Amino acid sequence: MTAVHQFVPALLPRDATGEHTLALRDALRDAGWASDIYVEAAHDDLWPEARYFEEYAGRARPGDVLLYQVATGSPVAEFLLGRPEPLVLYYHNITPASFYETWEPSTASKVGEARAQLAALVPRAALCMAASAYSAAELEGLGCARPAVAPVLVDPARFAPEPDPAEAARLAEGHGPGAVVLFVGRLSPNKAQHRLVETLWWLRRAHDPDARLRLVGPAVTPAYAEAVLAFAGELGLAEAVEHGEDLTPAQLAAWYADADVFVCQSEHEGFCIPLLEAMHFGVPIVATPAGAVPETLGDGGLLVGSDRPADVAAVVSRVAADPVLAGALAGAGTARLRTFAPPVVRRRHVELLAGVVTGPKVAA
Amino acid sequence: MPAASHDASPLDEPSTTARPVGTSPEGDRPSGAGGVPGATADDGDDEGRAAYLAQVMAEIDAEVARRRASGDLPAGLERQLDELFLEFSPMSARGTDRLREQLAVVDAGAFVDIAVPVASNKAVGSVAKRLIRSAISWYVGFIVHQVVKFGWSVSRLFHLVVDEVEELSTQVAALGVPELPEGLAATVSSGTSWWADEAVAALSGVTGRVLVADCGDGSLVRRLVEAGVDAYGIDPSEGALEGALAEGLDVREGSVLDHLGVVGAEGLAGIVLDGTVQWLRSHDRLRLADLVADRLAVGGALVLHSAAPEGWERSVGPVVADLAPGRPVHAETWEHLLASRHVVVRALRRSAPPARLERLPADQPGAAVVNAAVDALEAMQPAAGDYVVVAAREQ
Repeated sequence: MTAVHQFVPALLPRDATGEHTLALRDALRDAGWASDIYVEAAHDDLWPEARYFEEYAGRARPGDVLLYQVATGSPVAEFLLGRPEPLVLYYHNITPASFYETWEPSTASKVGEARAQLAALVPRAALCMAASAYSAAELEGLGCARPAVAPVLVDPARFAPEPDPAEAARLAEGHGPGAVVLFVGRLSPNKAQHRLVETLWWLRRAHDPDARLRLVGPAVTPAYAEAVLAFAGELGLAEAVEHGEDLTPAQLAAWYADADVFVCQSEHEGFCIPLLEAMHFGVPIVATPAGAVPETLGDGGLLVGSDRPADVAAVVSRVAADPVLAGALAGAGTARLRTFAPPVVRRRHVELLAGVVTGPKVAA
Repeated sequence: MPAASHDASPLDEPSTTARPVGTSPEGDRPSGAGGVPGATADDGDDEGRAAYLAQVMAEIDAEVARRRASGDLPAGLERQLDELFLEFSPMSARGTDRLREQLAVVDAGAFVDIAVPVASNKAVGSVAKRLIRSAISWYVGFIVHQVVKFGWSVSRLFHLVVDEVEELSTQVAALGVPELPEGLAATVSSGTSWWADEAVAALSGVTGRVLVADCGDGSLVRRLVEAGVDAYGIDPSEGALEGALAEGLDVREGSVLDHLGVVGAEGLAGIVLDGTVQWLRSHDRLRLADLVADRLAVGGALVLHSAAPEGWERSVGPVVADLAPGRPVHAETWEHLLASRHVVVRALRRSAPPARLERLPADQPGAAVVNAAVDALEAMQPAAGDYVVVAAREQ
């Protein structure tokens, strides 16, 4: 019996890597392979779905293939380096240390170690996969001859069918006459939320004095998150910038529903799932090209060549003020989202893994 | 979000217009709104939608260009915003000030409060928490005592280290080289140089910002902007920038090393290095190579101009040569430094060497006098040559 077991540092709910791992586990089982998830840590609710990674040593079977979801550093990488089974890497991307040097040197050190682990794993891998061509190029730089690209599996369950009514009412009350700009992503230097604050400043100064910015995401780099909000305060925008954390899917749906434009000015993204969320919720997207953003966005939104906040503000103002343009962009997003439909992405992953798996399936 | 909050901005300046781009001052419908193809998701007219979006972007670009030209979107304000945000970075302080700031954070964190909060939303929650706290206080207290002891030991150690670093910094500062006399180093005018066409050709078509380091009078920035490149410049001499600032070019005062230090990884589509970068100290040169390799986007272009080591002293004059912290290096050295950082040289061009004057054979009448004059004239010749390197980041 052939098995493709996944290893992931942490299995967390409402987390791109965690959701991808769970969805892929189901896809692998549907394809006829046995598949379990081995982790270093997991959310309490998800421990029934996983086993501690060191347990695998006692459960290993001939013909197993091990698939490692690489997104951060972990002892799991060291464990896999010592295993004889064929290894497949799926690279979600690791934020470069340079983004954290100014804000959180300890994190810079950790991501540096994570990249060192990746460099050690690549020569050992039978197959290297990446969530984007951008990340695949990094694998090539580490010596992988032909990394394959397969998008992240996005669980449709992450999209709540209906916005939370109470949250929707609260947001509608605070919407005001100006445009509401939304960005979703952890508050971290590579996501460059400070650039969004600058864009809001230009937007209010030159186009729309009542514009507002809403940021959703955990403050994983506290010093940066505090700086972004303090910066907004210094610019007189404290009342115009709202930060939401720990939202339920229904609450998040309400934030998307109340937004006029989704703006992404990240300086580094390995894939950028929130772009897909915005497409799903029909929010027009404006983004600047960095990392994997151009390939994920495709023609599903407006890609602004310049990353200057004044230029981005000009585009945002036009989209927010022009319902025909906004409608066209929302339509473009919906069309683009089909590229990432779960059946399509699942098939891609299974086809790539079939090239490594040699044994018989569980069932025909 | 009251409008008053906007008025409180320290960077605020009156805007000549405040309206959506692409709409008329009277609030007409957006110019691209009529007869839009591809406005819905399912009409299958992807080409029509792409053409429509391209048209919209062209309209917005034209409007932004017009507003920039009118001074409505001053580049100086963008710069001020960037600099203001950096002040909120915990590492924004420099040198030992930064160390002292972090030391204060360590000191504050070394204290562990044993009084765990007992507040609760539930009626009996607070009582239960208080009981638990009392019951395990002997245990927690024992652990906390050791943690605090360790914390203060580490803090004390850091204080000693910082004291030592400050002492070393003072000693190192005394060994520093003096600043170059203001105005003695010639203002760079790269836009009129022999290699300017090469630089413009190498950078035309790149997508993203292009930095011109030591931009001097801004002439190369202007040429790049005219070629459609999103270029900006920095120069350590504020005086050299006056003309460029008056023209409305996006230029600012600063050193290339400091500036690249705050640019994000892969944040630049192109970099032009000229001027003082050619006489950096050796360790600063290596740091510059590291920064260029990190800040340049994959596929981004680097244009580096430098005097050749031979004859450099004659080109800059004795005072600058004596006070300069370093000397120019050969093109091959840059090629080596860059290649080891995955920035590969695509082209290398050298300026034509200065024409040599012919000497009279020694047996000719008056040869000694004429040849002495030739020697004197050659000593007055300009630099023995310079070179330009065009490179690209490969990974």
